[in-house]
Amino acid sequence: MKDLKHLLYFENLLLDANNELITKAKKDGNICVAYTCENVPEPLLNLGGCFSVRLRAPRSGSMEMSTYYMTSLLCEYSRALLERALEGGFNFADCVITPDGCTMMNRCIENMDLLNTMNQGKDKFFYEYMEIPMKADDNGLNLYVLQCKNHILEPLAKNYGVDISDTALRQAVAEHNRMCELIRAIGEFRKEENPRITGYEFHILTLATYVCPAYLIIDKLEATLKELQTRKPDKENNWRARVVLVGSEVDDMDYVKLIEECGAYVCADRFCLGSYPGREPIEMNDDEDALTQICRHYMNYGQCPRYMNTDKIKERKRYVKKLAEEYNADGIIYEQIKFCDPWAYEKMMGGVSMEGYGYPVLTVDRPYAISSGAGQMRTRVQAFVESIEIKKIQRGDK
Amino acid sequence: MGKCKKILIGSAAAAAGFVGVTFTVYFFNLDMKLTAAMEPLMLKWYDHLEKDTFI
Amino acid sequence: MTKKIGADNLGRFYTEGKVRNRREWRGFKDTAYDYTRWLGIMFTLGKFIVKPRNIKGMFRYRWMSNYLAVPMMVDRHTQGLRDEYLRMCHVEQDLIIQDVAKLLDNLFRGDKRLGNDEEFSKKVVLVDENEMTAVMMGFPTLKCLSRETPSTYVPVLLNQHSMEYYIDKIEEFGMAPDVCPMPAAEAGVSVDGDAPIVGACAIQCNTTCDGSLLSNGIIGKRLEAEGIPTFQLAAPLRHREEDVQEYAAQEIRNAIAFIEEHTGEKWDWKTYFECARRVNYATKCRQEWLDMNRTDYPQVFGSNLALYTETNYMAICGKIEAFEKADRKLTKLAEQAFEAKRMAVPEYRHRAIVWGVQSHFYFDFLLWLLNCWGIVPLTDMLSMVSTKMIAEEDTPQNREQAYYDMAWLTENMIMRNRTHGGYKVLLDELWEFVDQFNADMVILWEHTSCKALDGMHGLFEDRAREKGVHLVWVCHDLFDPRVVSRQGVRDQINSYMRTVFNEEPLDPTLEVLPDGNSW
Repeated sequence: MKDLKHLLYFENLLLDANNELITKAKKDGNICVAYTCENVPEPLLNLGGCFSVRLRAPRSGSMEMSTYYMTSLLCEYSRALLERALEGGFNFADCVITPDGCTMMNRCIENMDLLNTMNQGKDKFFYEYMEIPMKADDNGLNLYVLQCKNHILEPLAKNYGVDISDTALRQAVAEHNRMCELIRAIGEFRKEENPRITGYEFHILTLATYVCPAYLIIDKLEATLKELQTRKPDKENNWRARVVLVGSEVDDMDYVKLIEECGAYVCADRFCLGSYPGREPIEMNDDEDALTQICRHYMNYGQCPRYMNTDKIKERKRYVKKLAEEYNADGIIYEQIKFCDPWAYEKMMGGVSMEGYGYPVLTVDRPYAISSGAGQMRTRVQAFVESIEIKKIQRGDK
Repeated sequence: MGKCKKILIGSAAAAAGFVGVTFTVYFFNLDMKLTAAMEPLMLKWYDHLEKDTFI
Repeated sequence: MTKKIGADNLGRFYTEGKVRNRREWRGFKDTAYDYTRWLGIMFTLGKFIVKPRNIKGMFRYRWMSNYLAVPMMVDRHTQGLRDEYLRMCHVEQDLIIQDVAKLLDNLFRGDKRLGNDEEFSKKVVLVDENEMTAVMMGFPTLKCLSRETPSTYVPVLLNQHSMEYYIDKIEEFGMAPDVCPMPAAEAGVSVDGDAPIVGACAIQCNTTCDGSLLSNGIIGKRLEAEGIPTFQLAAPLRHREEDVQEYAAQEIRNAIAFIEEHTGEKWDWKTYFECARRVNYATKCRQEWLDMNRTDYPQVFGSNLALYTETNYMAICGKIEAFEKADRKLTKLAEQAFEAKRMAVPEYRHRAIVWGVQSHFYFDFLLWLLNCWGIVPLTDMLSMVSTKMIAEEDTPQNREQAYYDMAWLTENMIMRNRTHGGYKVLLDELWEFVDQFNADMVILWEHTSCKALDGMHGLFEDRAREKGVHLVWVCHDLFDPRVVSRQGVRDQINSYMRTVFNEEPLDPTLEVLPDGNSW
């Protein structure tokens, strides 16, 4: 296939946490709201005069300082973030908003806070910790709304004079939806039998939407969609299997690439920083206040394993199954970053459930930066692809 | 009187016997030594139980 | 073989096998006391096992084999103790044994596989092992039972190797081996079909950590398959914040409504406030003991404090009158010993706060610290629970307040009140306690799978250096001695005491013990 015109541009943006668009947006006078978890409603961080950046630590090497502070037993994502913060790599942030989601991320941010990273010389800088619901119900929604008010909206208004009116919220949702719809439209091409976009390319585009100011990349996303409408896939479909990738934080560009190099096309992405459920547009009506609607969307669409009520637990499995059906997947890869408790459980239970639905499943734990475990991962994915192929032959599929 | 005395002596002897035996068991940890010997047999039994194992 | 404290070399009783060669001679009076208490324990066990369904249970559930070691658990916790200390330990342990025996008896009575008493089962509400049972304080006719307590939690106290089978079982299904072995073992018991099938409904709670929360999902699935409806009680994590309390209270209201719906029973305020009064009394007693521990003559400390608080505060939560009596008795004994300026070993060399999540397979470590090195474990993280007095008078306002009180207790269940709630409750408050208790060292358990603690590792070190307090890390894996053995735990203290303090042990025979195979 011909290269996508803007792919290299997006790839370059993702090489650093502090990319050129963040610098530009700050020069434009915008406030950079850093966050770390999908449970923080993104539109609230992108109100007029603000832009959100999901923290990540690309090209992480040594994590000695953060390992001293958090031991080698915490997930590498949390350690990589702390290390980067200690190195000054997130100094572009004007505040950090984090939910008390998983314990490790919470501790990571607390360490950042106590070690005075990011905030030096910034008198308006703040760290905010949110309580987020663990069940999707009315009580949970009330909590979500209150927490968003107390820990996102009011601090932004108080410290930076951000407009937090209902109108401003609706405007932010409209812009958020525009970006989501673009990603969705691009992602639709992955349903094709011989797809015109690779899982890797899609991952790059999606990832960029989390870590760059949306208003600065939207034109390139539109151009990419347009380009894809006429893009011709290779004549021969060389993919050996189609897989849904499910799991925790994936912000390493090389991870999806490695899977695809083994012949497995990543046809759907259900992971933190993926398009499912993070790029699901938010449906709004005029009858109810915007904040409640936004919170309800995040609560109902959230697929985080920390949601503990039975309905949600079941829904998570159904969600993956639905994706597998919709995207015509041959198998499912459940991944977790090593030492991640929530996904250790979800991976196991999800794996068992999906096998029950008849899907071959590969469950893997992995390092944050896949380069340090590429050999093992390649071997496992290759074996998985072969096993899918054998099953296809046994079934008599073409 | 004689009968009463006999009962008393009998009871005292039984009590002393009980204390003697149980105290020996207690002091030399014989109770635990016995149960420690039982444990491997129990584990073998559990290994052969049929169970409904699933997630 | 003498009454004198510290005269025995306690290491001599250890063998390479599962059990000790003999019991201690503590002088006539104390030995006679210990012997009669042993008889009492034998009676409790005998009373339990004569019931046919309990014998059946013994042969049905693998974890039941660990109950063969009950008397030895008591022996472990009474090592070297004399006078009031010995009596305090027995008051607590004997009551806990009776309580667990009752719990097992009730579980087996309703268990579909054993007693199958359906009417009884309809009155049973299942709760998590690590769950605050405050939500059951107003249901006098219902039985609040935990399947995890007797199958998972207690067995590790009895036999260090008891949970290895269940940890391996869940790992066979693909569980990552780096998660906390406690919820993993609970999940292992569940998937292995080794939990009694009983109950009208179940209340699960996000207790101490992510692992605990997630393992509920596995257990919940099993409960569903067994036809037991489950309510997940979501207690807020940032429990010190004002803006989560209404949410927490509403969760309690919802949980109560759920129990009422599934059992047909109604909430009884009279019983609730009676339990609340007992909760307050337990809090008052605990505070009194802690006050004594701030002085030169601490009395209720170590496992006497830790194990009892875990049971009384969380599992009992004012519901059982016998524990109020025990509180009274313990306080009396402690006051008596305090007045006599009694000491548990001949010399108190160091005053320590024990922080972090304790090793369950080595709970008597606290006593070992004392006997071997003369380190007094003044208090521990799990004993530093809520000291807030809750409303105990039945008034309309207090009925509303009660939901917030129950929520508060639930949020502040043992361990959870420190592992959740932000760094202040875990990190900052430790150093406040160090000052309050005039401690010169902190023993910091580093449970290798406990992310909440591990995530503060460096800051603990930094603060200890700033304050000039000795900080000793003790690694363990909570339920799995294959990762760090008991001797592995001891060695970490031994090397610190020898190399940093340059001290010799009070009892050198305890420094290295051949208890790798021991129960």
